[in-house]
Amino acid sequence: MEIFSVKNLSFTYPLCSNKAIDNINFSINSSEFILICGQSGCGKTTLLKLLKKELTPKGEISGSIFYKNQTLSELDNRTSAEQIGFVMQNPESQVVMHKVSYELAFGAENIGLPKDVICRRMAEMVNFFGLNDIFDSEISSLSGGQKQLVNLASIMIMHPNVIILDEPTSQLDPIASKDFISVLRRINAELGITIIIVEHNLEDVMPISDKVIVIDNGKVIANDTPRNICAALKNINENHPMLKALPTPTKIYASLNNNKDILCPITVKEGKDFLEKNYKSDIKELPINKPSHSNNIAVELSNIWYRYERNSKDILKDVNLKVYKGEVFSLLGGNGAGKTTLMSVISGINKAYRGKILINGKKIKDYKKNSLYLHNIAYLPQSLQTVFIEDNVRKDFDEVCKLMKYDKDAKEKIILSVSEKLGITHLLDKNPYDLSGGEQQKCAIAKMLLLQPKILLMDEPSKAMDSFAKESLSEIIKMLKSDDEMTIIIVTHDIDFACECSDRVGLFFDGNIVSYNTPNKFFTENTFYTTSANRMARNIYPSAVKCSDIIKLCQRNGLINE
Amino acid sequence: MKKDLLILGFIVLIIVIIVNGTEFQTVDEYYLTHIDDIREDSQTVFISINCSEIYANWDMLDDNIKNSGYLPKDGVILDKTEYVLREGDTVFDVLNRAVRYNKIQMEYQGADMNIYNSVYIQGINYLYEFDCGELSGWLYKVNGEFPKYGCSSYVLKDGDIIEWIYTCELGQEYNLF
Amino acid sequence: MRFENYNPITIFIYFLIVFLITMFTVNPILLIISLIGGILFFISNNGIMRFLKDLAFYLPLFVLIAVTNPLFSHNGATPLFFMNGNAITYEAIIYGIFISVMIISVMYWCKCFGIIFTIDKILYLVGKISSKLAIVISMTVRFIPLIKSQSKKVSKVQKTMGLYTGNSYADRLKGSIRVFSSVLTWGLENGINVSDSMLSRGYGLKNRTSWSPFKITVSDIVLILISILLGITTLYGIYSKSLEFNFYPYITEVPTFLMSYISYSVFGLLCIIPFVIEIKEIVKWKYFLSKI
Repeated sequence: MEIFSVKNLSFTYPLCSNKAIDNINFSINSSEFILICGQSGCGKTTLLKLLKKELTPKGEISGSIFYKNQTLSELDNRTSAEQIGFVMQNPESQVVMHKVSYELAFGAENIGLPKDVICRRMAEMVNFFGLNDIFDSEISSLSGGQKQLVNLASIMIMHPNVIILDEPTSQLDPIASKDFISVLRRINAELGITIIIVEHNLEDVMPISDKVIVIDNGKVIANDTPRNICAALKNINENHPMLKALPTPTKIYASLNNNKDILCPITVKEGKDFLEKNYKSDIKELPINKPSHSNNIAVELSNIWYRYERNSKDILKDVNLKVYKGEVFSLLGGNGAGKTTLMSVISGINKAYRGKILINGKKIKDYKKNSLYLHNIAYLPQSLQTVFIEDNVRKDFDEVCKLMKYDKDAKEKIILSVSEKLGITHLLDKNPYDLSGGEQQKCAIAKMLLLQPKILLMDEPSKAMDSFAKESLSEIIKMLKSDDEMTIIIVTHDIDFACECSDRVGLFFDGNIVSYNTPNKFFTENTFYTTSANRMARNIYPSAVKCSDIIKLCQRNGLINE
Repeated sequence: MKKDLLILGFIVLIIVIIVNGTEFQTVDEYYLTHIDDIREDSQTVFISINCSEIYANWDMLDDNIKNSGYLPKDGVILDKTEYVLREGDTVFDVLNRAVRYNKIQMEYQGADMNIYNSVYIQGINYLYEFDCGELSGWLYKVNGEFPKYGCSSYVLKDGDIIEWIYTCELGQEYNLF
Repeated sequence: MRFENYNPITIFIYFLIVFLITMFTVNPILLIISLIGGILFFISNNGIMRFLKDLAFYLPLFVLIAVTNPLFSHNGATPLFFMNGNAITYEAIIYGIFISVMIISVMYWCKCFGIIFTIDKILYLVGKISSKLAIVISMTVRFIPLIKSQSKKVSKVQKTMGLYTGNSYADRLKGSIRVFSSVLTWGLENGINVSDSMLSRGYGLKNRTSWSPFKITVSDIVLILISILLGITTLYGIYSKSLEFNFYPYITEVPTFLMSYISYSVFGLLCIIPFVIEIKEIVKWKYFLSKI
């Protein structure tokens, strides 16, 4: 049965000349799992909001949206609230009540279910989602993943027919995000609820989707099954930018120009099969470029111990670390391992109770007042909104320039040069809150660069970034390293990102750095904790860790039956 | 936090005691008041204290007072008595001497404690303001008139007649307004 | 069932009655009973050690209040000495002591009330009157830790950019104003999301129901009835003057009518209810444990 059908839909925001949605047509059948993707700013969020009556933005709409053969705008409010659920991006800000139990009840109360029905449904939800342990907890004590699950459960309690999700995992760490996606799969597979999801990390979602809709500039450019989407995109343009956003196996397949008979792989398992069946493995590895950095030590930690309170347990236990000048060092590790704490200790926010930290050869204690942060260390936090205080980017920059005591000409010059370097000159007069995640990050990095740092600390820089933003971020990192000889320390969950941009990678576990090495060696030695490219190719090219490595190796080795 | 509040409380208490001064007197010392003998040439005033108005408003009177046994049957707490007037004596000075001499209880609010800059009489003979309704309290007359200012501001002259009376209606029964 | 597990309405009515009687009587026997009840309840909730530790605060406070009264009140038939021409009387001192008893027993009851009456219970009660207000309270409770952590984050990040690290007050004040304005913007942004989330889940539809984790059980009704019965009996005792007691101008005798004795014992029963319930629970649990 057709649940949504969109016909000739166009939408223009007020005071905008461009159409945000441009003559879109598609239909969604009941029980389908629909993935919508596209570059940031392509109109996917607008499209989702148009599908949910209550969230329809102000603007000019033409065309029509039907929900179960009924015009959506004429749907009565109760049915809309009950049958169409909407999960937003930020797990934090969509929670209304203070406790999990009250949050679950909130929607059910709104649609007027009697108390005993609410109790029964609540019991069902708690069991289905495994919320027993947190049922009576305060929302503020939950992790991001748990919050997002609660958000989903509090919609499920109304027994919806469709759930619409707008990048629900972008703020979650990889483990929580995999958990969330697998719950979505269960909801779809076991209960037959239609799922419409916008995502930018397609690795986990694409394999379980029934259909992928790709949107570009407000238009649907492809609408097909995951297996065919690659071909569909290539039909439009051999090097279509969206191809880079596809899951690793599909991406590799797309770059190899296969003949059409070979099935397009979507999962690592299929990718592995695809490589082994089709490609020779005479050349096992590529020549490795020695990482380039000087022998001067920029940051040195020796025997660092840290705990938050006198009676709490140690977060950092005897940490030793040397980071060389001009090096990009990435620290990987799970949630709560203490990575962010380590960053705060290096940046001088928190003070270690034992051990020694040398920044450019000088003890961290000997940096008086704010001298540690001028011409020295800069710290890019996880939540970028904390960086900006003014209502436009330029004012924020001015603030820092005042601190650095630039005169007027020097100020103009440095702002211009930094903004050009990062490509943000057109964003300077905008409000930081109006920028996309990637733009916000570039502006934040620019603000850091005005302090002319020698060492840049980045906390989860790839979080909530789509593949394009990630790519430009890793370009920026490489540029800072080569142009300014900057030392960059990154802590991240994102294995692929760390592999792509670092000279050395370390694994943080239980308050300590358990191993570190160049990405190639580090990931080759690991079996599970490695990039998906490496997992896919490790049988035939054991030391290939990046997509580009595999593509090159495949091209050099050639196909088996040629 | 709690401890700080406690210490603060004690400090305030000590300050209040110090500011108020710390002149201690035993009961006997307090009531041992020297009253000048009336001589031919001495100037004198007359003072009386009367609370008979409460019998007209008996229902409104606090039960506490009714049963206390301190109320004079006719309402006369101090009959019209003649006292020597000392140089510069105010109504309050004379009252204070008279109640002490007669061992009548009295409580007053010092001139520095209220906005009128004058001593305010709160209660005489255990009969307090507000004991007989919300509009009750002590008032005084000099030579049959209600002065427009407080009792410690009114300087007396020879032959003045002071009457302290208890009102239940803010003085309206005496046509004060 | 522990006392805190009763329905909020039950608990509220109980406390209301105890507060009312304690605050509107000057009868020393009733005040002492209330103090003992409050202390016993406090001990059954927090343990005897906590009580002993807290004495270090309550005893000096007791003295402080008791001493303050005679300094300001000079009524009373038995002057002990005069200070600056004002009598320090025996009656005022005794009155001070019993005001102290009253205030401290109210404080103990308040403490117990504060521990037992969690935000959920407040929501339940408020929700009976206005469900909108209940939602507002819940949202506020949720928002406070959010704001706190956000402002902490912002000020840390600003510090690592070398901004507002000066030691002067002006600089620090300027810094906190900046942090505040940033948190405010963030809060507004957050608020838009919250309202979207509320709308999309049908907030504002007619016939909203209300869920709460509390139920009214038979034992609630029993406890409410008992509290009201005992409370009304005591209040009748007060009303009928059989608990009449005066400090001024001289201290009267403690009333000893039949009704006074009834009131004392009835109020004693009322004050000891939570303690008995808690003790019963402890004993029961021990008994069960020994059977396991």
